[in-house]
Amino acid sequence: MDGNAANNSSDFVRKLYKMLESPQDESVVRWGNEGDSFVVLENEKFTKHILPKHFKHSNFASFVRQLNKYDFHKVRHNNEEGGQSPYGAGAWEFKHPDFKMNNKDALDNIRRKAPAPRKPNAMAEELIPTQQMDLVNTQLVATQQQLQQLQERYNELSMHHSMLLQELIGVQKTVVNHEHVMQYVMNFLTTVDAQRRRESKVGGGVNPFGNGSDPSRPGAQVQFDESADIPASPLQHATKLLNEVNADHMLNTRNLEQMNEQQMRQNASLTTPPPDIHAARNGIRSTSRGALPHSATSSSSMSYSELDNLVYPIGQTQGIDPMYSEHVHNIPYPMPSKATEGTVAPPEGRKKSTTIDPGWVRQPQILLVEDDQTCRRIGGRFLYAFHCAIDSALDGLEAVNKLNGGAKYDLILMDIIMPNLDGVSATHLIRQFDNTPIIAMTSNIRSDDISMYFQHGMNDVLPKPFTKEGLLNMLEKHLSHLKKQPPGLDTNSMAPPGKRSLKADESPTTSPAALSNWNSPSGIAGISPASNPTEDHFMHAVHNNANYQQGMQPGPNYNAGGAMGAPSRLQQSQPNQHRRNISDISGGPGEMSDPKRQMYGQQVHLQRPPP
Amino acid sequence: MPASTAAAREQDTKSEDGSATGFTLADFGDSIDASTFEQILEMDDDEEEREFSRSIVYDFFTQADGTFKNMDNELANGNLGRLSELGHFLKGSSATLGLAKVQASCEKIQHYGAQKDETGNSKVDDKDLCLKNCRTEIARAKTDFKEAERLLKRFYHDDGTGAGASA
Repeated sequence: MDGNAANNSSDFVRKLYKMLESPQDESVVRWGNEGDSFVVLENEKFTKHILPKHFKHSNFASFVRQLNKYDFHKVRHNNEEGGQSPYGAGAWEFKHPDFKMNNKDALDNIRRKAPAPRKPNAMAEELIPTQQMDLVNTQLVATQQQLQQLQERYNELSMHHSMLLQELIGVQKTVVNHEHVMQYVMNFLTTVDAQRRRESKVGGGVNPFGNGSDPSRPGAQVQFDESADIPASPLQHATKLLNEVNADHMLNTRNLEQMNEQQMRQNASLTTPPPDIHAARNGIRSTSRGALPHSATSSSSMSYSELDNLVYPIGQTQGIDPMYSEHVHNIPYPMPSKATEGTVAPPEGRKKSTTIDPGWVRQPQILLVEDDQTCRRIGGRFLYAFHCAIDSALDGLEAVNKLNGGAKYDLILMDIIMPNLDGVSATHLIRQFDNTPIIAMTSNIRSDDISMYFQHGMNDVLPKPFTKEGLLNMLEKHLSHLKKQPPGLDTNSMAPPGKRSLKADESPTTSPAALSNWNSPSGIAGISPASNPTEDHFMHAVHNNANYQQGMQPGPNYNAGGAMGAPSRLQQSQPNQHRRNISDISGGPGEMSDPKRQMYGQQVHLQRPPP
Repeated sequence: MPASTAAAREQDTKSEDGSATGFTLADFGDSIDASTFEQILEMDDDEEEREFSRSIVYDFFTQADGTFKNMDNELANGNLGRLSELGHFLKGSSATLGLAKVQASCEKIQHYGAQKDETGNSKVDDKDLCLKNCRTEIARAKTDFKEAERLLKRFYHDDGTGAGASA
């Protein structure tokens, strides 16, 4: 992006300043006596001659309007002091606290005001009576209690669930033991059988139960040894069959353990999958997993009645994840909606405003890799509007070199088709030494393309032509750790207002009708929304334990602990099979889910790219 | 300073649609996607001058002219691969600006150049046919581009009716 630094002050303000620098116009427009305002002395001349020169129009009214937009105010002189402006009756004096003679740096602080619709809301905010604030406060506390209850309930159910799983594993082991017993029995039967046949062969009409007689005993021993050499007894076939069955059981046990592990990790990531989808996708899981969210819903609905009028939307949400920002925002407070909007800017206000401050803790550093200057400039401008610092590279090679040279970014937006080095290859190279999230920006979003992006270590896809909302959603999704945490509330609950309304755009497909990001793993649409929030929240839950306050039952602690503990235990026993097994179990989702799972695995394994 | 901060907001209402001078986004019809283009307009500091979007759009004109020239050259050389690349390139920027028709044509050029049919799904072995398809599609892209250019220039008051715009 060209000239970011220069762009910090707006064109209008710079022109205004420049206009005041030309001394030949001093009789018409000039700095005020104190140097902290400027005065239009002769309105008519100014409109006719000076405006066209600097602003390409000659409309004083729209000039004033423009000034207003930048928060300049007309200075009025009150009657008490004579009612006269020191500059004459027809003079217009305008003022802005940061618009001062000989202070060009302060110009950067003059920005366009937020759009008008915000105003009335801001007023409403000030006017909220204290009792309404109290109401809000009590509701907050109640909601937090409710969240806590849900959290506890959830933890409890997770615990029960893992207990059940373990129980099931135990049962399976018992079954295996039974198999062994049966094998012993089989072996014994085999010997008996062999012995009997041997005896009928050797001893002719000798009583087969003549074992009791002394002379036949050594013969039985011989037969026992021989029977090992003789293969073709029907009993041995049966044994073989039994063995095969046995092996299957072993496999199932492993699957269950994997499931157990996955379940733990799911808990840690605090994203409960909607049961119906999983049920549809793979039969095995539906029995064990599906049960959990269902029961969570039903049990939590019981507690609704206890908390008088504070209600979660019952029915729509199964498997409520109390930590997930969306739900926190979706809680329908039974209070005047105006007041709510007063504290939280309305979503539509966000769409129109030129610059949107998503509330970063620090300015995110974004690398924009794009060979087409139109896309680069517009993308850069959008990012600038989102208060990001932008660096750009013209192709993959430049991007790799920048990162190789030690440049650090919070996010990389990567075009795919570029000269010199394409985006996928560049990502592949970057992944050898760096884990910065990389988002593919491309119009090639066929499913095989996308799975290739993921396979080479890209984290998400932003389809071209991208929209401002789509871009902002990407930023918020992958830079959630840079967002300001609001005081008094838990971790990442305070997603920006309007997130809900924008949700629909978030999925990287062209279909905006995709479900909200936590229950959309259907086809391509689901890939990134389904996998990435999971990762984000997983990391989040672990990182933010310290922030997690209000005396809530620390769900993340418990769950994260479980996630760290369980997988490592299981991985010790079968370290190499880990990844394969996960995809083995999942069977149903098919090929498309593989990159997702791989990425998931990468994340958990401290992001080592696959060789 | 005895200044009352009552802003001169009363001035606001008078010239509310001074910038558009009658030509609005709706007049773009289907050659330019209004919502895509609008979000670029939103990035303008100044709604009267539209310096940012104007420079983007005019740079795009230059870029497109250059790309069409390159396309003509490659067409003469019969270089399908390059034609596909050029199609892809122009597709990206036209899509970003919302020039839907140009974008669609460029996508077809990209496919034809890659020796595929217009949807990019099935392979086409006949190189001459691909070149012929490219030629027709490039011509269409040029027409669509000229139309979009004409509309955009009107939007920026650059259609020969006087440069300064708002009276």
